[in-house]
Amino acid sequence: MEAPQQTQQPQPAPQPEGAEPVKHHVHHSYMWLESIRTLVVVALAVLVTNFSTIAGVIADGGLDGLPTGLALALVAGGSLLAILVVVGIVVAMRVVSYKHLYFIVGPEEFTLCSGVFSKKRVHVPYQRVQSIDQRATLLQRIFGVCTVLIDTAGGASNKAITVPYVTKQQAEWLRAELYNRKNHLAAVAASVVGTAVTVPGAPSASAAASPAAPAASPAVAPAPGIAAGAAAPSAPAPVGQPAFGNVLDIGSQAWDEVGGLFAGAGVDTGRVTYEYGLTNKELFLTGLSGSTSAGLILLGLIVGLLQLVGNAFELFGDAANSVVASAVSYATSQAMGAVVGLVVVPFIVVLLVLWLLSALGTCVSYGGFKARRRDNRIEVEYGLLKHSFQGLAVDRVQSVSINQTFIRRLLGYCEISLGKIDAAEGENASNNQNANELLNKGLVVHPFVKVSRVPEILAGLIPEFADLPQDSIPVAKVALRRALIRRGIVQGGGFWCAVAAAILAAALAAVGAAAESGVLYLESDDLFLLSMGSVAAMGLFVWAAILFIIDIIGAVLWARESSFAFNRRFMQVSNGGLSRTTISFPRQKIQFGCARSNPLQRRAGTRTLLATTAAGQGGTTTTLVDVPAEDAAAWLDWLKPGGNQACGS
Amino acid sequence: MREMPANQLNPRIKNVWRISDAIWIVIAFLCCFAPFAIIAAVEPSETWAGFVALMVAVVFAALFVFFVVVLPPIRYARWRYELTDDYLDIARGIFWRKRFIIPFIRVQNTDTRQGPVLRAFGLSSVTVATAAGEHEIPGLGNEEADLLRDRAAELARLAREDV
Repeated sequence: MEAPQQTQQPQPAPQPEGAEPVKHHVHHSYMWLESIRTLVVVALAVLVTNFSTIAGVIADGGLDGLPTGLALALVAGGSLLAILVVVGIVVAMRVVSYKHLYFIVGPEEFTLCSGVFSKKRVHVPYQRVQSIDQRATLLQRIFGVCTVLIDTAGGASNKAITVPYVTKQQAEWLRAELYNRKNHLAAVAASVVGTAVTVPGAPSASAAASPAAPAASPAVAPAPGIAAGAAAPSAPAPVGQPAFGNVLDIGSQAWDEVGGLFAGAGVDTGRVTYEYGLTNKELFLTGLSGSTSAGLILLGLIVGLLQLVGNAFELFGDAANSVVASAVSYATSQAMGAVVGLVVVPFIVVLLVLWLLSALGTCVSYGGFKARRRDNRIEVEYGLLKHSFQGLAVDRVQSVSINQTFIRRLLGYCEISLGKIDAAEGENASNNQNANELLNKGLVVHPFVKVSRVPEILAGLIPEFADLPQDSIPVAKVALRRALIRRGIVQGGGFWCAVAAAILAAALAAVGAAAESGVLYLESDDLFLLSMGSVAAMGLFVWAAILFIIDIIGAVLWARESSFAFNRRFMQVSNGGLSRTTISFPRQKIQFGCARSNPLQRRAGTRTLLATTAAGQGGTTTTLVDVPAEDAAAWLDWLKPGGNQACGS
Repeated sequence: MREMPANQLNPRIKNVWRISDAIWIVIAFLCCFAPFAIIAAVEPSETWAGFVALMVAVVFAALFVFFVVVLPPIRYARWRYELTDDYLDIARGIFWRKRFIIPFIRVQNTDTRQGPVLRAFGLSSVTVATAAGEHEIPGLGNEEADLLRDRAAELARLAREDV
């Protein structure tokens, strides 16, 4: 497969007229690797369905007078035949569809052709390419092939274009080729129009020079004698970088060196100017703070607390009793405690094990995490078993967001992610559920990093975002009062929980009063239920108080820390609270802005800002409540074309 | 706050709103009212059905008055837009007042739509779509709508490809 490709590299310059475009077929593992999977599935299915027959044959000692051995052979042969027929059909279908699946890297656009009976051709103009991702399952990794997903920005209904079963070399070549052609076209367009390319920091020299590179690159790349992928870490470019690394990097390096059966030699895809991985500590903390793990910890804590409370009640009960009774009840409470312990301890142990497993899973999925800046794109790869590679051109970055969940905030860490326009998943990607969890948050360029290191990483990864606005405008003074009311009462879980508890308590009290005055006759069981209900109401009150305090703290923190800022090129919005998000986006990426106010806000003289970018699927709106009205008006003026001229740089 | 956008919608839009709201209210009313009315007609002994039917009629009469008489002038007064050389300014909303600034260089496409009611009044609605959602200006005279669409299309063509 590789040989004809390397010799028949299409030149990035427009091809000579009349020349037949080169049809690149995907790797032949498209036929058999998928077939192996089908074989396993079908074999399992047949085995399960035939199990009863086989068991019956063995139990009956034969079938209709046939000896057992012959009958078994018949059944086994039949099953084998069934498997073979199904697999044969699948293989034949794969072979035929393989013949009709190819892509063309044309002068203007990338074309993917597929379909046997109903032909399908997908055309992607190079200019529209948003990001190019690679994904590989474990099986695919072993054979050195991967799936390439090409994202375009096509509104809500767009789908990523999936090129399945491409060798690693082919994928890297394709990636470099697509980006180079895109840059080339952009440079041509820029020189025609006479304006700068939209990429703020893109060196136009590299854009102009790069189209020459891919033609030479396959010949050049094997020369250093480095295996696929290993070229990047050993590149001399990230000078002065402290060597970040963790235990799992060894595994991913091993992968890189082995590369997979058909991976082919590495392709030089560009110059790396900045690169980092995760340290052991960061990787470990990432694993521990995964959302599933946090939930499990919480559950474990609640169970533990319940046990403690239970013990405390037992002790109080003892204190109230007389000495003799207390001795008896002490013994029973010990027995009860033992029983409770028998139930609770294994539960906690199981939780712990689950938590450790999920933490380990997160660690493995982030194993070999690498983020780097290569020419004018940002690349992130991760996954020890299932591998995922995401590449995003810098001019497609919609926003930079720094998120601190509560746990990260306590530790002084944060997560950095880049907003990008997401495509609806390609057809084949539906079975990659795990990978999607990570993909949905935009492009996470660092899952767990010390806050103090953020400027350094941003400066290395996207120097285009260097001059972020400094002088931030805080929310209005009145925002604190409004936030207390909004978060504490209107949206406050604690307040409404207390209301529910009050209603419950009132209802119970009414029933109790009715019983006492003789209107209602209650059995002892009902009285017991009544007392249990009042205990539950008390518990609900306590829970409501805790939630209310959390809400209030969150509101105060929000009012203190929230702000927005804008300068000539960027806008930044910080929303504080127990967890904190700071999101920065270039003015160019704001699709439209809106200032909203309700009657109360108009009386308080505040507005809500809504800035909508195209990030995510169908756009993302960043909101900041209760900005002073005049600042909101100034922001709207800034939003008008040319409105940023008044700002200093 | 700053001055409101200059233009108002075409006054005929009030009648468009009245008619389309009236149609919906009548359809919903028939759906809610018919079952009880039928019960009341078939079984005169079931007095509750007649009562419910009466209540439904009262509620829908109130809704009808609200949507046909009270709301359209307020909506009309609160709906303003302005089309400058390079951006679209929209102010709307009665309780939750919203002010939108949509730069034309971000506009991806514009549509002109005309339902039967709008067509009867010689109006069009123009939809301006960006990469992250769309905005509709509901009642514009036909020539005004064409102007807006042409302007947006022209500026969208000039827009740099920078989503």
